Parts: sequence; C-alpha cells; structure tokens
Amino acid sequence: MFILVSIKSKDMKRNIFDGKGKQVALLFIILSLFAFAPLHHGWSSYDQTKPLNFTGTILETGYENPHGMIKLEVKKKKWTVVLAPPARMESRGLTQDMLKVGATATVVGYPHLKVKDEMRAERITIDNKTTELR
Amino acid sequence: MQTADVFEWLEYSHLAVYIRQSPLLFPAIEIVHIIGFIFLVGSAFLFDLRLLGIARKLSVKEVAGYVLPWSRRSLLIVVPSGLLLFISQATALSTNGVFGLKLILILVAFTNAAIFHRFTFPTVSNWSASEIPVAAKAAALISLVLWTAVISCGRLIAYF
Repeated sequence: MFILVSIKSKDMKRNIFDGKGKQVALLFIILSLFAFAPLHHGWSSYDQTKPLNFTGTILETGYENPHGMIKLEVKKKKWTVVLAPPARMESRGLTQDMLKVGATATVVGYPHLKVKDEMRAERITIDNKTTELR
Repeated sequence: MQTADVFEWLEYSHLAVYIRQSPLLFPAIEIVHIIGFIFLVGSAFLFDLRLLGIARKLSVKEVAGYVLPWSRRSLLIVVPSGLLLFISQATALSTNGVFGLKLILILVAFTNAAIFHRFTFPTVSNWSASEIPVAAKAAALISLVLWTAVISCGRLIAYF
C-alpha cells in the first residue's frame, strides 16, 4: 500500500522511474517499508502497569542466552522469572553461583501479558545484593 | 521420533547448550549473522535499485557482476550462523509464528530471484541503458519488499 501511495503522487504519475523525483520516490518507498517495523519494544510483552514484588525460593535456574531465568516458588505458586543475558548479569556482579537452587531471592518485575505465571524482572536481590537487570 | 523431539534433541545437544551458556558466543554468532545478511541483502538492494533506474551510468551487467557474487558468498556465513542460532532455541523457534513467516518469506524471495535469473536476466545484453524491462523492475520491487520483510521478521522474533 505504501508503494501505491508514492505512485499516486502527481508529479510521478507519468513515469515513476523518470525525472527528478525518482530518487526521492525510491527513498520514500524504502523508508515506508521500515515504518511498520518498530511496533514493539523490549519489555512490551510485559504489563508494566502492574509491578510485582515477590520473595521466594529458587527452584530452578538457567544462566543461559538469550536471557537467564529462575523458577521461583512464592507461596506455593511457581513463577518463571525472566532475567537478563548472562554477560550483563555477570558484569553487574550477579554471578552464576549466586543463582543457587534453594536460595532466597526477591524480584521486582512485571507479569507477562499472555503467559500465565511468567514475569520479567527489573531487579533481583540475593543475599542483600540488588542487581538491576534492564 | 516426532518432529518436536528433533527440535528438543537439537536444543539440548552439546553444541546448542554450549552456545547458550557461553556469555559472549551467542551475541558473537548474532553479529556474524548480521554482517552476513548486510552482504546478502545489501548487494541485492543495490542491484534492485539499479534495475529501478538508480546509477544509470553503470551498466546493469557490470553492477550484477560486481554485487551479486557477494550476495551468494554471504550465504556461506548467513546460513551456518542462522542454523547455530536456531538450534540454540530450537523448540521455541519451531512454534514461533514470526520465525515461520520469516522462512516462508525467504523461500519466496529466493523464488523471485530464481525466476528473474532464469527468465528475465538472460536478455540483459539487449536492454538499453534507459529501458529496463517491466519484469525486471517488478522483480526488483518485490525483492526490496520481501527482504525488508525478512529482516523485520528476524528482528521481531524476540517480541512475539
């Protein structure tokens, strides 16, 4: 549809690929193609109007790309908590050793819009050490 | 063995686990993949633009001779890096609709290129500098749209 729009423009009606407007037209076409791309941003699958703050016991850990994760038991309920890429966690001092099964962790984050019991953590606190994950 | 089992087996293979657990290998492969498709799609786009009438001083044949081999060579790094990224997330990707769409679009884009090279391009020696056949212009436009969509799908996999 974006191509049709550019073809309809009056001065190009005779021959879209001729004359001075040609390069502008092509540039316009290419840029319009990209216009639909940035519909979503990171974190967009999570409801940031509903911050959660949980403390629980780590049941499972994954220190893996593209995102680390833990399963956290909070009052008998099991949450999947999506963390940051391992390289970022490591550079901010949240090492693989700290994410131990059985450890107590506090996470602040947002619930997934569709996947039940999944949240993405903004920050995590283990042994009184808080790491920002965004 | 079901198809789903194959994806699971791939995802838990030593190589896939190693890629996931190494902090920098995963982004390194992503970088290789990106550099690869810069050549793949970049060369194709420059050729498409020539067909659409940009840079008329250069002959279509010469532009094709220079840029298209780069497009083909790039497959040698785009495909392996893509496969490595795929196995590291095989189960999730196998059910990801955007990834499926991306693969279909790649197939259509290659078909478009194949049709162009089979039927339209062989007569290039007869094309005059200012008159590119409509079929060639159409193939160029389709290529621009499809490859843009492929890249968009690639980027959007992570958001769906």
